[in-house]
Amino acid sequence: MHACRRKALPALLLGLLLGAGSAVVQAADYVPVPAGSLRSVLVSDADPGPVAVASYAMRATPVTRAEYAAFLAAQPQWQRETAPLVFASPGYLAHWGAAADAGASASLTAPVTEVSWFAAKAFCASEGGRLPSWVEWEYAAAADATRADARDDPAWLARILGWYGRPADGPLPAVGGAANFYGVHDLHGVVWEWVDDFNALLVDADSRAGDDPDRLKFCGAGAISFKDRANYAVLMRIALLSSLKAADSTSSLGFRCVRAEGATP
Amino acid sequence: MMHLPLPTLPRRFAVRAACHRALLLLCLGVAGLAGAAGPLPSDSIYHLDLPLHDQDGRAFTLASGQGRPQLVSMFYTSCQFVCPRLIDTVRDVQRALPADSARQLHVLLVTLDPARDDSAALRGVAAQRHLDARTWTLARSDSAGTRALAALLGVQYRILPSGDINHSTVLILLDRQGRVVAQSTRLGVPDPAFVARVASTVAAAD
Amino acid sequence: MGYVRNALATWVLSFAAALVAVPALGAEAGSGLKWAGDFGPPQGAPIHAVLTSPPEVPPATNRFYPAKVIVDLEVIEKQMQISEGVSYTFWTFGGTVPGSFIRVRQGDTVEFHLKNNPANKMPHNIDLHGVTGPGGGAASSFTAPGHESQFTFKALNEGIYVYHCATAPVGMHVANGMYGLILVEPPQGLPKVDHEYYVMQGDFYTSGKYREKGAQAFDMEKAIDERPTYVLFNGAEGSLTGDRAITARTNETVRLFIGNGGPNLVSSFHVIGAIFDRVRNEGGSEIQTNVQTTLIPAGGAASVEFRTKVPGSYVMVDHSIFRAFNKGALAILKVAGEEDKSIYSGKELDSVYLGDRSQPNMNAVSKATAAAAGGRLTLKDQVDAGRDLFAGTCSVCHQGNGEGLSGVFPPLAKSDYLAAQPRRAIDIALHGLNGKVTVNGTEYNSVMPPMNQLNDDEIANILTYVLNSWGNPGGSILTEDVRKVRAGGTTAGGSEH
Repeated sequence: MHACRRKALPALLLGLLLGAGSAVVQAADYVPVPAGSLRSVLVSDADPGPVAVASYAMRATPVTRAEYAAFLAAQPQWQRETAPLVFASPGYLAHWGAAADAGASASLTAPVTEVSWFAAKAFCASEGGRLPSWVEWEYAAAADATRADARDDPAWLARILGWYGRPADGPLPAVGGAANFYGVHDLHGVVWEWVDDFNALLVDADSRAGDDPDRLKFCGAGAISFKDRANYAVLMRIALLSSLKAADSTSSLGFRCVRAEGATP
Repeated sequence: MMHLPLPTLPRRFAVRAACHRALLLLCLGVAGLAGAAGPLPSDSIYHLDLPLHDQDGRAFTLASGQGRPQLVSMFYTSCQFVCPRLIDTVRDVQRALPADSARQLHVLLVTLDPARDDSAALRGVAAQRHLDARTWTLARSDSAGTRALAALLGVQYRILPSGDINHSTVLILLDRQGRVVAQSTRLGVPDPAFVARVASTVAAAD
Repeated sequence: MGYVRNALATWVLSFAAALVAVPALGAEAGSGLKWAGDFGPPQGAPIHAVLTSPPEVPPATNRFYPAKVIVDLEVIEKQMQISEGVSYTFWTFGGTVPGSFIRVRQGDTVEFHLKNNPANKMPHNIDLHGVTGPGGGAASSFTAPGHESQFTFKALNEGIYVYHCATAPVGMHVANGMYGLILVEPPQGLPKVDHEYYVMQGDFYTSGKYREKGAQAFDMEKAIDERPTYVLFNGAEGSLTGDRAITARTNETVRLFIGNGGPNLVSSFHVIGAIFDRVRNEGGSEIQTNVQTTLIPAGGAASVEFRTKVPGSYVMVDHSIFRAFNKGALAILKVAGEEDKSIYSGKELDSVYLGDRSQPNMNAVSKATAAAAGGRLTLKDQVDAGRDLFAGTCSVCHQGNGEGLSGVFPPLAKSDYLAAQPRRAIDIALHGLNGKVTVNGTEYNSVMPPMNQLNDDEIANILTYVLNSWGNPGGSILTEDVRKVRAGGTTAGGSEH
């Protein structure tokens, strides 16, 4: 019975949201990110220069628990009980029951985590968007409040490192930290985020293997190398993404969506 | 060669799948959500609704592979080194099987490069390598479908400006319901344990 | 066709320890390849390894066959105290720094389960230096939060080995505490000892200064520049001092497994007041004896053994000594038991030693000298000057209170020897004293060197001070008296007032 009660809680949460909830769940706010070029941390021998980035619109905040609950109500095939394991391995929404028990409204405005790549993709599709590519994510995340690329500023780096230095044992804060140059919030300091091409990051499980000519794991010239030692903070985000399979989720991993500029769902 | 670290997954999948079915019945009273084409196991990759086109331009879906065991991998036609060896390796696996089993084992290779690998390109490789169309299917999806299939199979790939694709290579054995029963990252002489698993899976499907 | 360039090539901070096993000498031809340390397939029921937190070491396997040993190790990211009032987010193997101690036997087949706690943020893996295979297990154990990886290896080489996380940036994972030791016992086991302890050094890089209070973040710049804020044993200042000191009794054997996680520093490991009877580095064939300080490389380990003989507190340090006293690399082994004065006397002496003429305050002496020159010298001037001079020269042996040390240095306080012939003291001060004397009923047989560095004035003042202190009879020795004795005359009689 205990298990059944737990499993039923997301449904309760949905009821709560749908009843109380139009004030909580609103159409997501997307902000335009103009085209430009990015000196990405991902460079390869074959691809050493800056990357051109086309314009897009990005969700101003990570997807919240409330928004995800509304999605689950509309698309019950993504509920924890029904989503196939091949799309959502154990751990998917694992703590939803407990969170609903707590009933804190703050938690509904916190970023949703414990969501697989497949589920995140489905969510974005449901609002006419998609997951950002790594380069799109990195491009928007290079900004601080006043500059499009603040990565040379130690303060920018310190913010990321501050998050790494905090254990993830407390509840996540509500979304809506300070906006960056583009009006995007919370790219750093709250959660990791899925990207569409998370499986393009080609990071070896053993990062020290170096140039190993015997290696046949990767076909094609030049995998990723990390250009600048100050990039390690961003590299750790890539290390996390590369440790995951598409059905996996973690309690610190959320997502946001992008879509074509000017598009609406 | 490195093997992907997957060893504990199948057992966990099985436990979770059983739990799910029980809970569905008990708590929700809902049944038959697993798909129109019969109850797919929760860990079947055939849950992915993936439209494909084969080397002759015929449309089919990934899930149409249901009902027989299948070897699945990803490649691209302009790949000069690893991808030809992948085909050689699959051939060696087939040769290591009893003739009957080899005929029953279907091979599906999906391109990582749908932009350039049209049906004609796929057909060219099939002809050049004398791939028997009764057992070999070379296929393409669209860009998003390719990314999703790669994600499902644990294939990493990245398209470089040169047009080369940097990718990992894995040979995956699916049972008749689309569950991953074995995988191998070894090219060249096939991993004997993998071959044995292929043989037993094909035999069990009879 | 370009070959693969590794993703994180610029982050290569150490090379995988892909140990290549050496074929056993004398392997019979035709019997197939035989590897040293391979005693065949595992026997018996699988065994779950006992893991211990530092400074404890798991019990000996006491096993004489190769087994399958299951190791369950969980990675936990947690905030802990690095120093009093200073917290730091450590990444740990098993919740401690260093991580859990693993003990297996050579030839064992180790089924390793690495679990990454679901509440963790980071992916992690493990490279065990005791593994024979690429990456030491690193690639096979790369694990996202909320996941578990499994791999199996045969422990072919015996010895004490470091394990550590090898996820990029490797140095950061190590600097946050991700290392520990695995002991692969030789097939016959290790000789029995009374105590085994687990101590591991590491260097830490915090954004704030040493002992700056509050939560401190990792500082990559300091780490790259190899400027540690802390150098610690077992992950925190005070982890092995005070009530948490490791202990033994006298006449016991102690084996320390000493590892060094780094990431940067090499340790000059030393136990103050002990000489290691035996030191074995890694799994080496050379056993070093009578070692004072042993080098533990970053990513290396040694076992050191010694017998405790004298009770007391033994301070373990990295003898790159500023690390010990300014960065925290201090631990204590407390040895209880009966003293053995024949080996070590304990403190026999505690006094100020200022060296010759290095007295900090010679004002009184200057004043006495001036007064003597002006013919105005009083007894008080002499006593004051003598007190300062005595402190710098005589108190080293005769003690500040003039009581000497029983049986070694005769007393000057209430001294019957002095009182009997006060002027004899001039001769003794100028020429020293050899041979037996009896003072206040105790026989002394030591050597007092001649105090020929002192001038006549100084000796006169010192002796006057002595005569007027500690219940001695009083009186005055004048410069002229000393001059006469030095000139060759012996003294006779006194000029006591």
